[in-house]
Amino acid sequence: MTSLKSAKSPSSAPLRAWFDVRGRRLGGWAFALNRLSGLGLTLYLFLHLFVLRLLLQGEASWDAFIALARSPLFLTLDVILLAGLLIHGLNGVRVTLVGLGVAARQHRTLFWILMTAAALLLLAGGWRIFTI
Amino acid sequence: MTGSTVDIPDHLVPAETSPAAALWLVQAVSGLLLVALLALHMVAHHFVVEGGLREFRDVVAYISNPAIFWIEIIFLFVVTVHALLGLRAIGLDLAPGPTGRRVMDVALSLAGAGTLVYGIWLLITLRQM
Amino acid sequence: MSTQSIVLRVARYKQGDPAPHMEEFTVEADRRTTILTALQEIRRTLDRTLALRHSCHHASCGTCGMVVNGREVLACVTPALEEAAGRVAVTVEPMQNAPLLTDLVVDMDPFYEKYNAAGMAYLRRSEHLAAADLPAGLAAFTRFENCLECGLCVSTCPIMGSDPTYLGPAALAAANRALEEPRDRDAAAVFRLVDRQAGCWRCHVAMECTAVCPSNVDPAGGIMALRQKVLRRRFGRLFRTAAD
Repeated sequence: MTSLKSAKSPSSAPLRAWFDVRGRRLGGWAFALNRLSGLGLTLYLFLHLFVLRLLLQGEASWDAFIALARSPLFLTLDVILLAGLLIHGLNGVRVTLVGLGVAARQHRTLFWILMTAAALLLLAGGWRIFTI
Repeated sequence: MTGSTVDIPDHLVPAETSPAAALWLVQAVSGLLLVALLALHMVAHHFVVEGGLREFRDVVAYISNPAIFWIEIIFLFVVTVHALLGLRAIGLDLAPGPTGRRVMDVALSLAGAGTLVYGIWLLITLRQM
Repeated sequence: MSTQSIVLRVARYKQGDPAPHMEEFTVEADRRTTILTALQEIRRTLDRTLALRHSCHHASCGTCGMVVNGREVLACVTPALEEAAGRVAVTVEPMQNAPLLTDLVVDMDPFYEKYNAAGMAYLRRSEHLAAADLPAGLAAFTRFENCLECGLCVSTCPIMGSDPTYLGPAALAAANRALEEPRDRDAAAVFRLVDRQAGCWRCHVAMECTAVCPSNVDPAGGIMALRQKVLRRRFGRLFRTAAD
């Protein structure tokens, strides 16, 4: 059996429609990236809020968590979080502008400018996270 | 062919005014606000204190500042609205139908309200510590 | 002219089949061979049951839209050798986001239901001859609208892939044109059609529609222009109400 792009089963269609970027161009890639990063960041938001309850358990509990959060693994996760925030945030600026017709024909250039800024901020932020 | 003779099928015409435009604007504005609010939040909690992350006493001292307290509440409100509107947009792209849409809207509203209540309660409790 | 053998992997489906499947055909191609002429060659000499749509053969009717090597194209102007270069086979599939009827033929009724609702006229003002003198008896230069109704934009839209209720880029671009040249069209009806979740506010700016359009419609630009019109109308109402 062959799975055609046009003959999708209902259950797999949304994921394939959004994230199967084969044959897509920059705009399609950016859309998939924004949707994935948005889902990841939303998950992180609720995880983060849940972890904050440790503050209510007092100094010992919170400081024990912070000691863990300063480990190389967690700092690496922080850098990944920063990457997600920068990509989603700056591409979101592009989606807002282009979505109202501002620089719509230059959306690719806008994407690369903003992602270059994101990369530079990520480098600076990542360095700071590991050295502070 | 001129357009005036074309009838729009009933199922393509909404029964009432749609909030879609307003919600799109809210998502856009909240997103733009978050670029600034998140930058502030990341700097304050990762790049200012010795060792980066704030230990318990640093957190309590930080939240005790009234300006910071209110900024964090505004930040919580804006990020919750943006995240849940984002989930709603993804949910709508799955074509849930009228009942599914109502269930989704109620569930997301409750999740949003719950998140705000929890977050504000947490901040108030911390201030009193 | 030199020819070379190329392999086409073509999607096949007949009503009653459990699922579509791919079949391979080898045809001779030269630099003038298009995907459409290659498919016609298959139909003529290898498999008369291969079903496909075609008409003008010069990218003005929009009938031969299909997905070649994962990209939406008009088969009549897609060079076969270019598509075959560096590949074992050229994959040819029907357009997406439309019910599959058979082989490379999809049902365009859902497309037309939305497209026609926009009420765009087929003729428009021509912007190309603004400086020219009008001949006697002619009120204005007109030309056909750009849209070929090929459906490629709908095929490539990621949102159409998950939500068939979305109006889609073709209908929205047509609605924008209907508002730009309403003639006797009821503009309020067009705004009601597009100013809703399944209308112009569903677009997530993937811009794939404009990227694949073979006829300079720029559907994405049309959707954004539509949003501007909707917002101007809504804010205008707000100020009029406040002033009353």
